[in-house]
Amino acid sequence: MKRDSLEQLSLLVVEDSPADVFLVREALKEEGLSCHIKIADDGEKAILMLDDVDAGDQDAPNLLLVDLNVPRQNGEQVLERLRRSPRCGTTPVVMMSTSDTAVERKRAFELGATEYFCKPSTVAEFMQLGRLVRTLLEERYGTAA
Amino acid sequence: MTQASDWENPTLASEQYKIGDLLSRLWEAEETIRAIYAGEADAVVVNSPSGPRVYTLEGADHPFRVMVEQMHEGTVTLDPNRLVLYSNPQFAALIGAASESVAGSDFDRFLAPADATLFAGLIEAAVAGGHSSGELHLCDANDATIPVRLSVTLLDVAGMQNLCVIASDLREQRRNEAILKEERLSRLILEQAAEAIVVIDPQGVIVRRSESANLLARKPVLMELFDTAFPLTAAGIRLDTDRILAAMRAGEKITGVEAQMARPEGETFALLLSASPLSSDGNELVGLVITLTDITERKRAEEALATQADQLARSNSDLQQFAYSASHDLREPLRQLAVFTELLQTRYQDKLAAEAGLLIEHAVNSAHRMEGLIKDLLAYTQAADAPQGPTACTDANEIWRKTIATFETKITQSGARVDCDPLPVLAVHEVHLTQLFQNLIGNALKYRSQEPPRIHISAERNTSAERNEGLWKITVADNGIGIDPAYKNQVFGIFQRLHGGGRYSGSGIGLAICQKIVQRYGGRIWVESELGRGSRFMFTLPEKKNEAR
Repeated sequence: MKRDSLEQLSLLVVEDSPADVFLVREALKEEGLSCHIKIADDGEKAILMLDDVDAGDQDAPNLLLVDLNVPRQNGEQVLERLRRSPRCGTTPVVMMSTSDTAVERKRAFELGATEYFCKPSTVAEFMQLGRLVRTLLEERYGTAA
Repeated sequence: MTQASDWENPTLASEQYKIGDLLSRLWEAEETIRAIYAGEADAVVVNSPSGPRVYTLEGADHPFRVMVEQMHEGTVTLDPNRLVLYSNPQFAALIGAASESVAGSDFDRFLAPADATLFAGLIEAAVAGGHSSGELHLCDANDATIPVRLSVTLLDVAGMQNLCVIASDLREQRRNEAILKEERLSRLILEQAAEAIVVIDPQGVIVRRSESANLLARKPVLMELFDTAFPLTAAGIRLDTDRILAAMRAGEKITGVEAQMARPEGETFALLLSASPLSSDGNELVGLVITLTDITERKRAEEALATQADQLARSNSDLQQFAYSASHDLREPLRQLAVFTELLQTRYQDKLAAEAGLLIEHAVNSAHRMEGLIKDLLAYTQAADAPQGPTACTDANEIWRKTIATFETKITQSGARVDCDPLPVLAVHEVHLTQLFQNLIGNALKYRSQEPPRIHISAERNTSAERNEGLWKITVADNGIGIDPAYKNQVFGIFQRLHGGGRYSGSGIGLAICQKIVQRYGGRIWVESELGRGSRFMFTLPEKKNEAR
């Protein structure tokens, strides 16, 4: 496991499946990323959090991991809301989905996704999510000291 | 006539007798003169000592001549060579010639050529029996034929066998016959027409009607008001004669207007109404011809069909949606199952018995296999979905090149030779043709025999007798293991596989997808093969419209 200091960064994970939340945490851990993680288990909660951020009541997340199929408001709606945010409209977003249809992928990028991660069915592949998050964080916030 | 002895012995009685005799002779003479004057006598027979003598009377033929000149029929006399000796003005008028030009002409000139033999027969009969008659045609100065009845009479004059021909013009009669025939036909049409036909006068009264009009109205409609006999509505508004006439005056065409007719008992009919004006020679509107076609049954069938199509579309869409969600939603827990089982294996390997590792491996494999099946099922449900964009048009040559590129490694490894004839441009989406080629060429490489694979793709315009105009037949032929003909249909089923034991990878969805795609374009796919002798997969697809290849 790698260790470095991207610790002060915070991630918002929008995901309703506890199993996948577990796997996301595992992937981040595997990559040695010990960021602060907030979980929203439906799209509505995520949007409310973004409202709070824009109202100055919460700190803005540094990266979002958004599952496409979350209850109430889906991942696309969360992404749309984020891109309209005055405080964190340009934050990197990884859209996640079990399916990998060209249509869903295209639509996600049209709405402003930074990356699209098709949830794989092997451990090794899933762990690559950690690597992806690290790359995005480093690109955006530099290799923190 | 004289008795001389009476003069020698004159007595009163004999004088009186003489006076009586003279008076009677005077009366006879006066009567003869009157008859001659009136033309009632042709000749006078006078008894003379040498026997009775006939005196013809000059001018006695005058009344006949007048009669012949004035009679309605055309008359000519002909000499034995059919030269016209005499023509009355009516005959000349009949054939549109001057009287003077007729006399002296060959009569055959005035006959329709087709009837020459018939006329010769008439003459023969007249010569033999004194008289004959028949119907034939004359022709006038403009070569128009005139139907006539000719009566031919032999005139034996002074040893010369002349002929008298009387021609009665039959044109009027023929015209009347034609009118009658037409009238009968119209009546038949009216009586037997499947449509209800009515003729109404400007006041809207039905003056003629077909039998089916009565049936439609369920009562005799003659002399009824059209609006009463047929209470029609169109789009909820009363469709009466006033409205029809108004529309007609506005220049609207009233052809096949859909209308409804409700009966008092609540039954509703769907009708098609057509109306056309009936004008007199002076272009005055004298009525309307209205045709009503009962389309209730057709309408009902159409509605039933539309409902059915609707239900089918809904059920299809439901099924599609179900298959999509089922396969999509099923994948998530399966994927998690696979990942967590694997995690269990990797993290607790040292703590588990040796057999546990094997069991976990089976579980992981099963989960992966099921995930593969679900993925394929999803691919199948989406196989024939139309991508958005302009009308499909794909150059098959290009797709073939791209497909070969994706199989490059396999082709090199197996030493395969894949070649292809020139292919057409097809009216299909690129993604669909790509799937077809990938599945068929992929199968040809996968199910190879001991020999290096030989794959040949060819195309020909479909020439089968089906209604397949504008279809191309593409053939993918290989030298692989072949297919037992008993399974030639089964191979196109979903998840149908002919080989177990993990000898060949795959779930058996490829050909099902191919079939679904081909059927989407109205084509079909089939295979000709024998075990051990290679396979020929063939499919038909529509060609690009207006293709100039």
